[in-house]
Amino acid sequence: MAVAVVTGASNGLGRALSAEFTRRGIAVVGFGRSAPDLEITAQLADSALFTPMVVDVSDPEAVAHAFDELGNAIGPPDILINNAAVHPRIDIAQETAEDFMRCVSINLGGAVNCSYAALRTMFQSGSGRIINVGSFADQAPLSGAGAYSVSKGALRIFSNTLVADLGDRFPGIVVTTWMPGILATRMGLPEGLDPALAAHWGVELALCQDPAINGTMFERDLQMAKPRSAKRRLLDKLLRNNTRLMRLTSPATV
Amino acid sequence: MSADIFDREWDVIVIGTGIGGGTIGRRLAEQGLSVLFVEKGPLGQAREQHYLRTDLADPFARQVRSLWPKPVAATLDGEEARFFAPIGSGVGGTSSFYAATLERPEPHDLEDEPSRLHPTGGWPVGYAEFRPYFDEAERLFEVCGEPDPLTRFSDPELRRPPALSLDDQAMTESFRQNGLHPYHVHMAVRFVPGCKLCFGHKCPRRCKLDGRVAGVEPALSSGNAVLQDMCEVRSIRATRERVTGLEVFHEGRTKTLRARTYVAAAGALGSPKLMLASQSETWPNGIGNDNDLVGRNLMFHLTEMVAVWPKDGKGSRGASKALALRDFYHRDGQRFGAFQAIGIDASYGMIVHYLNGLFDRSPLRRLPALRQFTRIPAYFAAKIFGSAKIFAGIIEDMPYSGNRVVLDPDDPETIRFNYNYADELHRRRRLYRKIVRKGLAGHRAIFLTLQPDLNMAHCCGTLRFGDDPATSVVDRDCRVHGLDNLFVADASFMPTSLGINPSLTIAANALRVADKIVQRLRQSTRELVRV
Repeated sequence: MAVAVVTGASNGLGRALSAEFTRRGIAVVGFGRSAPDLEITAQLADSALFTPMVVDVSDPEAVAHAFDELGNAIGPPDILINNAAVHPRIDIAQETAEDFMRCVSINLGGAVNCSYAALRTMFQSGSGRIINVGSFADQAPLSGAGAYSVSKGALRIFSNTLVADLGDRFPGIVVTTWMPGILATRMGLPEGLDPALAAHWGVELALCQDPAINGTMFERDLQMAKPRSAKRRLLDKLLRNNTRLMRLTSPATV
Repeated sequence: MSADIFDREWDVIVIGTGIGGGTIGRRLAEQGLSVLFVEKGPLGQAREQHYLRTDLADPFARQVRSLWPKPVAATLDGEEARFFAPIGSGVGGTSSFYAATLERPEPHDLEDEPSRLHPTGGWPVGYAEFRPYFDEAERLFEVCGEPDPLTRFSDPELRRPPALSLDDQAMTESFRQNGLHPYHVHMAVRFVPGCKLCFGHKCPRRCKLDGRVAGVEPALSSGNAVLQDMCEVRSIRATRERVTGLEVFHEGRTKTLRARTYVAAAGALGSPKLMLASQSETWPNGIGNDNDLVGRNLMFHLTEMVAVWPKDGKGSRGASKALALRDFYHRDGQRFGAFQAIGIDASYGMIVHYLNGLFDRSPLRRLPALRQFTRIPAYFAAKIFGSAKIFAGIIEDMPYSGNRVVLDPDDPETIRFNYNYADELHRRRRLYRKIVRKGLAGHRAIFLTLQPDLNMAHCCGTLRFGDDPATSVVDRDCRVHGLDNLFVADASFMPTSLGINPSLTIAANALRVADKIVQRLRQSTRELVRV
């Protein structure tokens, strides 16, 4: 049986992902900071398959300990979704450097801590799946969201560095960045996308083990084209290299 | 733990962990001797499966991947070239990436036969003495395959290979119609479930038997061996009589390692380089190099790549590594070598990789902007060859004293050599192509090698063994002439390059040398006890 670790499982997208994984018979270990909120997720998910763990992902020791524990209790994770994030809005005039780095240590640091802990066992098996939940915040940063924008931009680079380090050595460990879009969650907007739909795509993406998608980005349900130079585009045209972009299947009822 | 290895005196220190080092260390450890493996590169991850990359330039990234970190510097026919050679640098050495072809040489590779004279008059140790060690090496490396139908010399007891694919059956039939004698190539592969024939790649399944799986790991399990990776031997310290220690670079510091006996197994490029770098007042030209022979007689093989379609015109489905034949091994009084399927798909990526390798060694390399255009012929090649099997023919290289590993004056870590293509080699290559073309008559076949292509993974000969110290570096036991306790156990000892992949011969010789070392150490222990 596959085991997935979902961080930020006590709310929003993490909660929806947990429910979707368990609906498909995949055991989920949900990391979150609030036990009562994780309890609500457990009720929405198949509770026999959902294990809540109160973990602060920004604490590397706590994360390493949690992975040891879950590895012993349930088995080493096959899938890791680095979803936990905070989105503080704060006037730079009021913000301290500590505030800034606190956000980075959760959004980026949390992904680093969890990925490194998960990779320890993924190296042993030679396979695994890591999804970093990204955003476009870095491309046009909002005022008062500097730390969030920096952390999300860096998270996308983190995916790329994982691929640079692992892509050739461990083709069975597949890493992608996924931008689910703006969701109707606490962190998003009321008119945003239904998190259950996004979670459906997220789980589809997590179950895709094709090394060909290693290092690619997905926006909502669609693989994004890699930026190409003009020369490369011409060469691809000449050689008729039509790389088809993958679209994740949507639920039949939607 | 790490401190201990520098404090104690080992029975044997083995420098390098490829086929030679791994095999000799295993045998010595299993005989109860304390063995320390010293490896320049990393242990590596068990599940890694990257290929022997020549497209990666960053030295750090290369070393992490057990690839020799720096480009090789070579003077080829007087032209200076720098390129990444297929050389490993990690536990298992180059063998971690090899195609696991463990074929036996023929008797005439080692000694004179009436109709097949040996180019140097024969090795100091003949086929009969090597034969039990070939048997033993085949057992340790779990070699499977079929006996060569042309075999006139021995009938190795090999494990049964898997059944031939339909493609290979068709190719076998079509070769036989031409009077050729195909057989299942001898390979050190367990064929565990999920085996992907990791040729050119690291095997993530302990399925391919290389210096790591058949050498270092069993040695470590014996409890008598210890491995120190990321530890570079920079100099061998010695009196005129014996080696007293190794100067190594480890964790940013220079340290000393000591043993009763030392084995150089850093490969036919690495071992002579280390001996040349080991200069002192006692050894002004490098250790064991009084006669200026260290590094000389460097040999490779020439590889001729040929795409072959079976006669019936049916396309094949996927790469094959199964078929070999020795019909072209020795023809018209000339020495060539085995003809084998290379087990690499004629995919677009592989062809680009291959053409880029050719490009980097051609005069065109001075126009790097052109390099990207190898993609265009590669694209068409992939369309055409996608249905062909690719074979590699080996052409034996001969020992010339001017072909030599030399010390790089600027950087002792860089592998540097001089190599001139002999006229005789060019002639033999032309003859070989003619013979192969004739042998494959009726088949569609295209020669893919445009110019003589050196197989640098098959380097050998640079510390040749012999009875006369004036013409050889090591003696018949592979002990450096005049030095009591320094042995060689890699391809350096070979006076000629054979017509097959040297791996089995390296392993067999390592076992033979191990027996000599055990004898000597037991003898000296007995003498000590008697005193």
